Amino acid sequence: MTKRKIVCEGISKIFMQKGTQRVHVLDTIGLAVDENELVVILGPGQSGKTTLLRIIAGLETPSTGRVLLDGKEVTGPGPDRGLVFQRYTLFPWETVMGNVVLGPKLRNMPKKARRELAAYYINLVGLEGFENAYPHQLSGGMKQRVGIARAYANNPQVMLLDEPFGQLDAQTRYYMEKETIRIWETEKRTVLFVTNNIDEAIYLGDRIITLEGKLPGRVKSTYTVNLPRPREHTDAAFLELRQKITEETQLLL
Amino acid sequence: MAIEVAKGTQQDLEENHSGIGVFLLHCLKNRFVLYTLSIIGFLLIWYAIAVLRILGNFMPRPLEVVNQLGIMMVDPLAGRTLPLHLWASLQRVFIGFLLSVLIGVPLGLLMALSRPINSIVKPVFDLFKPMPPISWISLAILWFGIGETSKVFIIIIGAIVPCVINSFNGIRLVDPELYDVIRMLGGNRRQEIWEVTFPAAFPAIFAGIQISLSVAWTCVLAAELVGAREGMGFIIILGMNLSRPAMIIGGMVVIALTAWVLSLSVGQLEKWVCPWKREIH
Repeated sequence: MTKRKIVCEGISKIFMQKGTQRVHVLDTIGLAVDENELVVILGPGQSGKTTLLRIIAGLETPSTGRVLLDGKEVTGPGPDRGLVFQRYTLFPWETVMGNVVLGPKLRNMPKKARRELAAYYINLVGLEGFENAYPHQLSGGMKQRVGIARAYANNPQVMLLDEPFGQLDAQTRYYMEKETIRIWETEKRTVLFVTNNIDEAIYLGDRIITLEGKLPGRVKSTYTVNLPRPREHTDAAFLELRQKITEETQLLL
Repeated sequence: MAIEVAKGTQQDLEENHSGIGVFLLHCLKNRFVLYTLSIIGFLLIWYAIAVLRILGNFMPRPLEVVNQLGIMMVDPLAGRTLPLHLWASLQRVFIGFLLSVLIGVPLGLLMALSRPINSIVKPVFDLFKPMPPISWISLAILWFGIGETSKVFIIIIGAIVPCVINSFNGIRLVDPELYDVIRMLGGNRRQEIWEVTFPAAFPAIFAGIQISLSVAWTCVLAAELVGAREGMGFIIILGMNLSRPAMIIGGMVVIALTAWVLSLSVGQLEKWVCPWKREIH
């Protein structure tokens, strides 16, 4: 039997804006992710996806409900979860190597060992030869690769990706999706991937959880994607599933 | 036949003409040519004003200023040659500027990192901040006399402000998501400060230090104008008392050149300490 890695139980989140206005962002979200499963949370903008991911990351506390990681309640951020941010949150004053080596450095891994580890993940994401480049010298896709390598290098059990390719052009985005699968297949992790792009969701996910299109975010339905990898966007089964999800969620393309 | 030849020359002439025209146009687009034109134009206007006595008798010609500078390089004024006067001013600037950075930057950092410290310091700082440093000169002289202390005091009053403000804002404006990165990677509060706060705020702090240096240079001149026996401000006031405008303008030129060299070297220093900063052209 596969192991339950992440469990969300009845998570709601209400933000207070300007001290008085209550914004209900998430409403009793329940979901579970198995070990080494790649689950995509699909929802349009303003559906609370990012908030949900930040709660699982421990950067926000839920108003009600709880997040369990390996059966233990999440109380704050921690190195057992790696987060790839929507924006390229690289440290501009560090090189690619300096950014990727950060997690091991914080845990006081000896210099030689951590640089070797970082070099391995820089190679894994295909940035060989750019170790000494600064972020401003990289393209958008390359920056997000650094973000992925940085999260991986900290050896998390769970990878959380928050619309990581939202800022990329269509071609680069498609390429990065392929790379995501390649990296995931090389280094299996439990992955929770948030996106607003239906093709990206079907291309990547073992399972897709859709959120309702307006606040507060609620789980709408779950789809299991039984397509062999590598997947083809023009495959009949791919298009059929795409059609089905589109109809049921009325997502704008 | 003859007509054809004439036609040919005419054509040649026209081509030549347009060639020169293109060349001139090309020159006018070249910024170095324009820089040169600008400087020459300025000197000519200056020369005209001096020769036509538009500003009375107290406008030296450009060459007179150069001569005066040459004389001051070798002949001592009040016991010092020009380089020694410059050195006197620079010494004051460096002492005052260093003290400002040593007090101002940590103060700004502490204010940004600790709310209680901010609440204690901010009201007083906000009270003093808008006072022009020059307005302190009279008090400084009453308190410390016209020696070095009063000059350094004036410099600190002026130069400490940009250090505090930029250090404070530099930290306050750090992208909060960068802290999330460190927290997700398992960093503690101390690591947040060392790995994110300081490096992220560094360019802003450095910009503050740069402003501080130019403020310090302005303040030292103001302080020297009021009471000094050496320094660039003294040369300018001496020029006025002796009715020798060439001495004043010569002093101003040296002051400007020094300020330019100072800011250039700080810029160079910044490139060396923040290699990640993009160059703005």
